Amino acid sequence: MKFSVNWLRDFVEIPGSVEELADLLTFAGIEIEGIERRGLDLANVVVAQINASSQHPNADRLSVCEVDDGTNHQRQIVCGAKNYHVGDKVLVALPGAALPNGLKIKASKLRGVESQGMLCSPSELGISADSDGLLILSSEAQVGAPIGSLFPPDTVLDVEITPNRSDLLSYAGLAREIAALRGASFQLALPDKEQVKHLRHESVAISALRECPFYSARRIENVTVGPSPAWLRAKLESAGLRPINNIVDITNFVMLELGQPLHAFDADKLQGGLHVRLAVPHEKFFALDGRTYALSPDDLMIADETRAVGIAGVMGGEETGVTDTTRTILLESACFLPSSVRRTARTLNLPSDASYRFERGVDPAMTLRASQRAVHFICDIAGGRAAEFTAVAGDIPAPPADVALRYQRCERLLGISLPREEVDGALQNGGLSRVGETSDASTWKIPTYRPDLKREADLIEEVIRHHGINEVPGRNRSQFTPVTPADRSFDFESRLRQGLRARGFSEARTSALIPRETNGFAEEAVALRNPLSEDHVALRPSLLPGLLAALSRNIRSGAPSVRLFELGRIFAPPDAREERHLALLCSGQVRSALHWRGGESRRLDFFDLKGAAESLTSATLSFRRSERKGLALAAEILERETVIGFIGQLAGSHATKVGATSPVFVLEINVDAIVESLKRTVKFRELAKFPSVTRDIAMIVPEALTHREIEATLQNANEPLLGAVQLFDLFSGKEAANLGAGRKSLAYTLTYRDKNRTLTNDEVTVADNRIRERLKRELGAELRE
Amino acid sequence: MLHPLEELRDSALSYITSAADEHVLEALRVQYLGRNGSIALWGEQMRALSKEERPIVGKLLNEARNAVTAALAETGERLRAANEANALADIDISLPGTVAELGALHPLTQMLDRAIAIFRRMGFALAEGPDVETEWYCFDALNTAPDHPARNEQDTFYLPDGRLLRTHTSTVQIHTMQQAPPPIRVIAPGAAFRRDEVDATHSAQFHQIEGLYVDEDVSVADLKGTLEFFLRELLGPETEIRFRPHYFPFTEPSFEIDVKSKALRGGEKWLELCGSGMVHPAVFEEVNRARGDEAYDAEKYTGFAFGMGMDRLAMILFDIPDIRLFAGNDLRFLRQFA
Repeated sequence: MKFSVNWLRDFVEIPGSVEELADLLTFAGIEIEGIERRGLDLANVVVAQINASSQHPNADRLSVCEVDDGTNHQRQIVCGAKNYHVGDKVLVALPGAALPNGLKIKASKLRGVESQGMLCSPSELGISADSDGLLILSSEAQVGAPIGSLFPPDTVLDVEITPNRSDLLSYAGLAREIAALRGASFQLALPDKEQVKHLRHESVAISALRECPFYSARRIENVTVGPSPAWLRAKLESAGLRPINNIVDITNFVMLELGQPLHAFDADKLQGGLHVRLAVPHEKFFALDGRTYALSPDDLMIADETRAVGIAGVMGGEETGVTDTTRTILLESACFLPSSVRRTARTLNLPSDASYRFERGVDPAMTLRASQRAVHFICDIAGGRAAEFTAVAGDIPAPPADVALRYQRCERLLGISLPREEVDGALQNGGLSRVGETSDASTWKIPTYRPDLKREADLIEEVIRHHGINEVPGRNRSQFTPVTPADRSFDFESRLRQGLRARGFSEARTSALIPRETNGFAEEAVALRNPLSEDHVALRPSLLPGLLAALSRNIRSGAPSVRLFELGRIFAPPDAREERHLALLCSGQVRSALHWRGGESRRLDFFDLKGAAESLTSATLSFRRSERKGLALAAEILERETVIGFIGQLAGSHATKVGATSPVFVLEINVDAIVESLKRTVKFRELAKFPSVTRDIAMIVPEALTHREIEATLQNANEPLLGAVQLFDLFSGKEAANLGAGRKSLAYTLTYRDKNRTLTNDEVTVADNRIRERLKRELGAELRE
Repeated sequence: MLHPLEELRDSALSYITSAADEHVLEALRVQYLGRNGSIALWGEQMRALSKEERPIVGKLLNEARNAVTAALAETGERLRAANEANALADIDISLPGTVAELGALHPLTQMLDRAIAIFRRMGFALAEGPDVETEWYCFDALNTAPDHPARNEQDTFYLPDGRLLRTHTSTVQIHTMQQAPPPIRVIAPGAAFRRDEVDATHSAQFHQIEGLYVDEDVSVADLKGTLEFFLRELLGPETEIRFRPHYFPFTEPSFEIDVKSKALRGGEKWLELCGSGMVHPAVFEEVNRARGDEAYDAEKYTGFAFGMGMDRLAMILFDIPDIRLFAGNDLRFLRQFA
């Protein structure tokens, strides 16, 4: 809410600078979001009237003006502007004035003609950027009046009021708080309580006492609706409200001043008495904003004998609103249940200044006083004649319950020791009064405007707010804490990240929310019920849509080599079950730039990604050909017998969609599935003491025979001396054209070793020959010598 | 007068030490120490010598052999070193080194890692909870009943089944307390979601670190000590820190924490970094109801909780002007933080 400091001064003395006030409020938990200075307060700048104007004798572009500055002394001023007429009222900077642009005015001669001051443009006064001519004032401006009377200086505080402090949503409320923080007394100069005693339980009925415990209506006859006087318009404008007419302006003014929203009905358009009731099924209502609302039986309505005339606490009806021809007013001031107003305003999506206050809570002690305050202004300004009495129904809600405070508890929670007098003083400053006392506790009566003070902790907060949190010294309570599963996950993820980074993959973090149209991999994603933008419509069922979008952006920005990974949560359809996934993506060149040393210059391929996957875990992963939508080449990744994810090459159509000119390879696995493999503690194995012997085998086999089958044949050969088998050469496809169609050549290094002795050449040859025979026999391999 | 062997030795040493390259040196080795070399020949002549002469000549012969051998070795070493130096003299050591292309970790990860490392040194363990939550975890259990003014469903993303995306990581407080009795001392890094128009400082998804400490006699002084230590470790010992009373439904009293530090945008302004407060007794009561016991006896235990936005912190610390850069994952951006 925006507060004019000038208006606040009507209620409370504000010493020192506005910055000091802002600090005072800030440290009491009332955040100042902005300080805006308005108006002008320039010494020696006054209203003047131009009485004559003539051409400057020595300069074509200048004129010489005779002006009256209110001292009955004609001033001669040389002026360069052309936008004025003789008789216009303007602002003149007299000698001695200092303008916001740094210009200091003194009497001088311009091209030989004396000039005793300067006629000002808006830009010279710092009002606007307009420097085309003089600022021409209205003819009502008083010659000789200081500029401050036209642009009264004021400071507007933009105050963030937290939802618990509804009492601060008014000038009186904030002023009361300022006084309390300064330990000053505060008295609201308001209609005395005698005036609001004439109540009659008639013409109003409440059938929903929970939603509306108390309702008052005051009839005022003979009013003349018209524009508000200048002071009232200025007050509303200073708080950011647009003046409408005197009646509406008065209700708004009183709402700003006291925090009680009011509503004025055109009483001549009401049929009979008022009835406060819940909406009937299928009820519709035509509101002041010109729209029709469908209500539900939860919504509280104000009705006359024939129809609803207002949505309680939210908005009045179009048919019974105040218009220019209104003569009789019924002024509503009521207590509504905050949660009821809130629910209605939310369901109808109809927030208003009134609902904003009602849903946070309005001081019930203010209901009748605010009404009386508005009646006073309506009679005064709009010439009304108020009824002798106020028609009421229900009872003003009981004040908040007393709250007890234990001094020791206060000290324990705050971690400091506070003298009892200081605790009591802080609460008393806040308007609380002590109603009971024991040796170690006291009981406090809560003011009607602080319903947020419900329990001991709330009182302790009041104490620390007044005492100052920055007075509390920090304390170090180091302690041991055992490791948690989340710690293990975090450490595991850190290892994965570091490992992938070392393999040249950069980490992406994409949004968990994805657009409807993605690059595949997002079918059946769980959609949000209430998305806000096209980009965030559903919960990602895979990390790949996000990574592919990142790839697309990187390709567009010209990255020659893209290697990305993401580690994050996905939301598996249909119930958005959360899983921790890891996705990898690569496309483009192996290196992002050529190097003078040369090095591998080729495109990233399937095996780069497969190698990265295998490096993640000490467990042996296996890969099994499969089909997957969106992938031209696809394989399942298995750890032991469990499928933990997939790897593949993006189908060409999808790759084109993301703008890729190189093949795109992707992988996604469920990370939780490989966590287990990392829990194993590594055990030492004896280092080999005796040298090994290696033999190479090169073979030609049918193209369809896989490396895995060959490897299996070698490893299942039951040769106790055979250790590692390493593929070191491969010719296939076009490279192997000279081998004949459908054939390929592979070469393996076989390592033989015995852990207890050095092998002889002969025994290795015997074993190697057995293996060679086996390859020929079982695979039909043609061995090359 | 010198013995002829001594003369042989001296002339050999003179040739050897002045040898121009390793080929010459090898020829000299053959000439003196080879099977038919001068020194070998002397050895054969020994047999012809008298009994008296033999030990004298033998000694001279040994000396000569040793001296020549040593000179050959020494000169050989010198020549090889000179050759090596010569061969390497032309290498331009200013040429770029060969590189293994490393990837970069996302700046948010780095920010989280830094913060988590500090809290772990302070004895905090990690905790986690789901992104998709029920209203109870996100609001009700955190003392924000359906009619509470701080409960803003407008800013919350909902799933068709009525569940929602958590709007803050404070939900993990509830999960943690449900799972274990006090004492609790955890931090929970994680994502949170707000239904907010996206611009340079707002995104639909952001990242927080939540903290919760519940034990006997935990006080505002502990909250201050903990967060002051953390912020000075993270931002430097000169960091100015101020606590401001604020309002959150699930803490009472509540504070916001502002910092001012040269490391942060030149230290000209107070920057709001963290919300915090003492756990509201109503939160303990709700947790007890859910647990079905009185483990969180508000008379016995007190606690503090805090939450800070890591995107904002990383933006401030790394001078990142637009929050959307985080989700853009442009390699040029990521590599700046490698």
